[in-house]
Amino acid sequence: MLCYRAWVETRWRFLICLTVMLLPSVLYFHELGIFPMQHWTSDPHYAYGLLFGTHLPSIGIWTFAAVFLGLGGLLRERAVGTSTLTLTLPVSRAHVVGTRVGVGASETVALALAPWIVNSSISLFERTPFSRAQAGWCVLLLVGGGLVYFACAVLVSSVVEGEYTAAALMFALVYGIGYLADHVSGFSALNLYPLMSGTRYLDRNTNLFPGPMPWLGILASSSASALMLLAAVTITRRRDF
Amino acid sequence: MIAAPAIQTSSLSKYYGRTSAVQNLDLVVEANRITGFLGRNGAGKSTTIKMLLGLIRPTGGDGTILGRQITNPELNRQARAHIAYVAEDKPLYRYLTVAQTVRFAAAFYRDWRCDVAGKLLREYELPLNRRVKALSKGMRTKLALLLALARKPELLILDEPTEGLDPVMIEHLMQTIVARAAEGTAVFFSSHQIAEVERVADQVCILDRGCLVLDRSLDSLRESFRRVDMVFPVDVVEREFQLPGVERIRANRRQMSVLTSANAEGVIERARAFNAVSLEVAPVGLRDVFLAMVNGLESAIGKEN
Amino acid sequence: MTFFKLKPIAGQPLYIQLMQQIRHATETGALRDGDQLPGIRTLAEELVVSPNTIIKAYSELEHEGLLEMRQGAGAFVCVTRRTRLIAERIQLAQERIRDVIEEVRVAGLEDDEIQRAFEAELAAPRKAARRR
Repeated sequence: MLCYRAWVETRWRFLICLTVMLLPSVLYFHELGIFPMQHWTSDPHYAYGLLFGTHLPSIGIWTFAAVFLGLGGLLRERAVGTSTLTLTLPVSRAHVVGTRVGVGASETVALALAPWIVNSSISLFERTPFSRAQAGWCVLLLVGGGLVYFACAVLVSSVVEGEYTAAALMFALVYGIGYLADHVSGFSALNLYPLMSGTRYLDRNTNLFPGPMPWLGILASSSASALMLLAAVTITRRRDF
Repeated sequence: MIAAPAIQTSSLSKYYGRTSAVQNLDLVVEANRITGFLGRNGAGKSTTIKMLLGLIRPTGGDGTILGRQITNPELNRQARAHIAYVAEDKPLYRYLTVAQTVRFAAAFYRDWRCDVAGKLLREYELPLNRRVKALSKGMRTKLALLLALARKPELLILDEPTEGLDPVMIEHLMQTIVARAAEGTAVFFSSHQIAEVERVADQVCILDRGCLVLDRSLDSLRESFRRVDMVFPVDVVEREFQLPGVERIRANRRQMSVLTSANAEGVIERARAFNAVSLEVAPVGLRDVFLAMVNGLESAIGKEN
Repeated sequence: MTFFKLKPIAGQPLYIQLMQQIRHATETGALRDGDQLPGIRTLAEELVVSPNTIIKAYSELEHEGLLEMRQGAGAFVCVTRRTRLIAERIQLAQERIRDVIEEVRVAGLEDDEIQRAFEAELAAPRKAARRR
């Protein structure tokens, strides 16, 4: 039931994000589908379209969505007055936070998958080739590298009080970190774009991911996410509501 | 058989910085009873209730609720499965419909009663498919109450349940509280509607500035609280009537009004000793007791007179 | 069917008020031997008082012999010779009080003044104790 509530609470956010996510991929792919290709692995144009038509534009939108879906939670509930209802249910606080994180994370993963599901369906319909493995790499890079934005939003939401304070702070944070990474030397590791896009691991000739992937980066980013989520649970357990 | 208390606290305290919300509270709420919890706004009633339910960590002291330690999150969670609670601001999820809200609550409690929920939904005339955010304040209050009343909990905690309800609904709510009590549910409720508390409660606790200033059964309160109004032939000083059991004295030259919690006989004897020309003894309502017990505005008014 | 009316502010516990009213009802004949009283929950809901009030009144009256509690069936009025005697004594006392009240009314006292005078006398220690 907590899952159901979390879903009802976030479904509009999710649907808005989903619509925005799907727009570029549908447009690009459909555009390319007008010119059917014979062997997609050998044709760089097609792969270029697949990758850049779906993966790259979705990075920005998905990051925004991950932040958007990570916001909320018990402190925001306190601001609107429902935290007493949630916290006096016979469930632990870890369970409450865990459910929210679970539903939110599932939604972000679903958002990452959605364009590829649409693309594979269109390719089936228009009889154009599609590679699940390549799509899988893209999703892995997006989620593995970028879930830290979601985790950060969850953490900020469990520290900052007020109905919209966390949201404002979080977007300022994303912008600030982006600025820091781009303009101040030594902070470039904070720029997650190269990791999430995977452009460094791309075969220039085919525009495909041929083999080695940034496992270390993904591991580091995922660990940071896990730590942030753990911190959010710990903070929430100790707080007065 | 004496059942274990539903709530028991010892030296329970909550401080926010240097200001205290609740101070060394030793509260006992018996099972099988209706206990009224009175106090002015900001007296610490809600803070106490929130500490009992694990929403707030006490700064000091501890307590048990349904026999389980309140500061242990897991034990508190277990206790909450048997507690129905309606918070002061009647919280509900704005984005759920009435039906969804009821289904949501029902899923968490084994003591949920579908038949009672259905009956109350009809009686309260709640529109099933309307979202909470589109409900009027009165309807929201009814829905919040329904979530607690459609169960058979061991303990029912209501924080200002009658606020915003019309007289007919208040009467209905009081009847429902009585019905739950008859089924063996311990009821602990705070209210500014002193007349309602006076009617249905067995026991009354008054909290003032975080301290418990009265904890008595209404039977004993009715039996022993008296107001003695006296007129004397000459001026009499207040000090002469500061006897044990005297809670408040208001004097104006030859007139004196004494509120006693135990010793009306002593006051009457003293009055006779001073040759009172008029002596009237009247029972005291809970309202007067409350006003005498809580410091602040009322005592300031008293001093001015 | 209930004709009981409890006053929260009466200087008397509600259960005692209820006991008196049940007693009075048996004296006036409103309740007869063998009549059944409402169940605890029913009466509590009707009067909107704590069920403990009803429980206490019923059990005290059972102790006095005016009520008989039958397991699962409820409370039944049980008017015996003894209770009838008590009733007569109360009736006698009531007549004397009526006379006194009439007397002081004639003397010009208002009813509320009389009531407060009664309260004062009732609250005062018993004469035997005062003499010491």
